[in-house]
Amino acid sequence: MKRTIRLLPILILLALALFTRLGELVPALAVSALSDGFQTFVTIFLGIFIEAAPFLLAGSLVSGLIEVFVDQQTLLRFVPRQPAVAALTGAALGLTFPVCECGVVLVTRRLHQKGLPLSMGIAFLLAAPVVNPVVIASTYAVFGMGPMLIGRIVFSFLIAFVIGLIFHLAKPKEVLLPQELQASQMQPIYLQAYPLDQPVPPSRGERAWQALTTAGDDFLDMARYLIIGSMIAAGMQTLVPQSTLLAIGQGPLASVLALLGLAFVLSICSTTDAFVALAFVNIFTPASILGFLVFGPMVDIKSLTMFLGIFQRRTVLYLILLPLLMTMLLALYLNLNVRW
Amino acid sequence: MTTNLKALTLLALGLFLYSRLSTGTIALYINQRFTWLTPLAALGLILVGLSYQRSVRFRQSQTPISDEHTDHEHSVHGESVASAHEHERQHSVHEHEHSPSWVGLLLVAMPVVLGLLVPPKPLGASAMSNREIGLSSLSVSASPNDRVPLVDTGERTILDWLQAFQQNPDPAAFTNQKAQVVGFVYQDGRFGADSFMVSRFVVTHCVADAAAIGLIVRWPDAAELSADQWVEVHGHFEPGEFARQQVAVLVAEAVTPTAIPEHPYLYP
Repeated sequence: MKRTIRLLPILILLALALFTRLGELVPALAVSALSDGFQTFVTIFLGIFIEAAPFLLAGSLVSGLIEVFVDQQTLLRFVPRQPAVAALTGAALGLTFPVCECGVVLVTRRLHQKGLPLSMGIAFLLAAPVVNPVVIASTYAVFGMGPMLIGRIVFSFLIAFVIGLIFHLAKPKEVLLPQELQASQMQPIYLQAYPLDQPVPPSRGERAWQALTTAGDDFLDMARYLIIGSMIAAGMQTLVPQSTLLAIGQGPLASVLALLGLAFVLSICSTTDAFVALAFVNIFTPASILGFLVFGPMVDIKSLTMFLGIFQRRTVLYLILLPLLMTMLLALYLNLNVRW
Repeated sequence: MTTNLKALTLLALGLFLYSRLSTGTIALYINQRFTWLTPLAALGLILVGLSYQRSVRFRQSQTPISDEHTDHEHSVHGESVASAHEHERQHSVHEHEHSPSWVGLLLVAMPVVLGLLVPPKPLGASAMSNREIGLSSLSVSASPNDRVPLVDTGERTILDWLQAFQQNPDPAAFTNQKAQVVGFVYQDGRFGADSFMVSRFVVTHCVADAAAIGLIVRWPDAAELSADQWVEVHGHFEPGEFARQQVAVLVAEAVTPTAIPEHPYLYP
C-alpha cells in the first residue's frame, strides 16, 4: 500500500496538468518562441503514436495472455512430422499465436527448447509478425482490402515457408547457440518468480493480473522502438521536402532499396508499421511500400539483436540475407512489371 | 523502484490518451473514423498500469529472495552448478529485457512530456512549405470509398471543390458558381499582394498522411492576412492562372476571420 500512496500525488498532479491544460500556462511562453517546424514535428509524432497505441497495446495483451495461459506441452502434440507440412504450419501458426516481431523471438526460442522442428520454428519466426490477426487488422485499417493487404500476407507467408524449408536441411547444432540446445527445465517466465516447490499454482485471477503485467512490460519494451521510429518519421516529414524523397521514391530499384533500408533502421513493430508506411504512399512506388511491409517485420535492428541471442552468427546472416534478397527481387519485379 | 516507474509511465500514457479525448484535441491528430480506438487504449493502459500494484503485492507475499531460490533449486533437484548458473543467466537476461532503464522509460513517456509542454495545434502553414499542394488534382483521391455524389455547391468544402475540379478539368466550367469555404491562410512567393490560398489538410488516418489542399483566392487585402489565420471566404469562381497552371480562382466578396473548426482536417 505504501507504493500506491507514493504514486498517487504524482498521478493527481499529472491528471490536473493534462486535463486543465495547466501545464501549458508556463511552458507555453517558452515553447511559443520555438519554431513552427517543431510544432509540426510534435503534431505528427503524437498523431502516429495516438493512432498506433491501441494496436501496440492489443499486441502486448495477447502476448501476455499467451505467456500465462497457453500450455506449450499441449500445443506440441499437434506438431506435424513432414518438413513441408511443418514449415507450412509454422508459417500459419501466427494466426493462433498473435505476436509481433518483438515477442516472436522469445516464443520461437521456447518452442525450440520443447523440441519443435527447425523448419517450423524458422517459418513461424519470419511469418508470425505479419500472418496474425492483429497485424492483418491494422494493415486492413490502413490500406483497406486490396493488393497491399493481400500481397503483404501472401508474400510474407511464401518467403517464410521457403526459408523454413531451407532450414530443414540444416542441423540444429549448426543453427542454435549451444546453451539453447539443452532440453530445458525452464518454467514459464511468469512462474520464475515463485519457488519451485510451491504446491499451489497461482489462481486464475492472479494469473490474469500477471498476464496484464507481462503485457505492460511488453508494451514498454516495444513502445521505445515505436517512439524512436515515429520521431524519425515525423522528423523526416518536417525537415525533408517531399520533392527530395520523390526523386528517390520513383526509381524501380532505388525506391525498393530506400524503403528496405528504412524498414531495417526504423524497427517499427509490425502491428503499427502500416501506419508509418502510409506516410510514404504517394512518395514511393507501391511495390517498394509492399517490400517495406514484408521485410520490416522479418528483420530489423531490434530483431537482429534478439536473433544474436539464440542463433549462431552464420544463421543470423542467412536470416537477414535470405528475406532481404527475396523481398528485393519480388518488389523489383513488381515495380518493373505491374502497374497499380 | 523500476516497477513503480513502469506503472507510472503506463498510467501517464493512459491519462494522456484520455485527456486528448476529453479536451477534444484528438481531432488534431487522427481521423474521426479511428477515434473509438483511443478510449479503449486509454482504459487498457490504465488497467495494465494498475496490474503492477497487484503483482508486486502478490510477489512480495509469496517469493523468497532470489539467492535462496537458486540454492534451494540446486540442492533439492540436484542440478549441476553449470545448469543452475544457466538458469540464473536466463533469469537475469529476462530481467534485463523487461527492466528498461529510466532513459528508456523517459523515451516512452515522451508523448506525455511533449503533450504537456507543447500546446496542441493543428498542422498549419509551416507544414505546407515542404509538401506538394493539391490545387486542381488530388493526390488523396485514391481512397476507394469517396465516390459520393457531390453536395450542394453552398455546402461544399475545399475538398469537395477539388473533387469537382477533378471531374471537370475545365476551369471555365465553374465560372460564377458561388462558394463558401473555411480554411487557413497560406501564402508563399508565388502569391501577389492580392491573392492567398485558403487551405485545409486532408487526413486519411493520422496526421502522418496529411495532404495539403487549397483554393486560390483573389482578395484585395490579401497582404494584410497573416499565415495560419482561419477564415471563412464567400465568393464566386472565375477562370484564372496560378504558377502557370489554369485554375478556377475564387474571387472573394468577403473574408471573415473565424475560430479553428472542431475538426480542423477534412476526411476523404
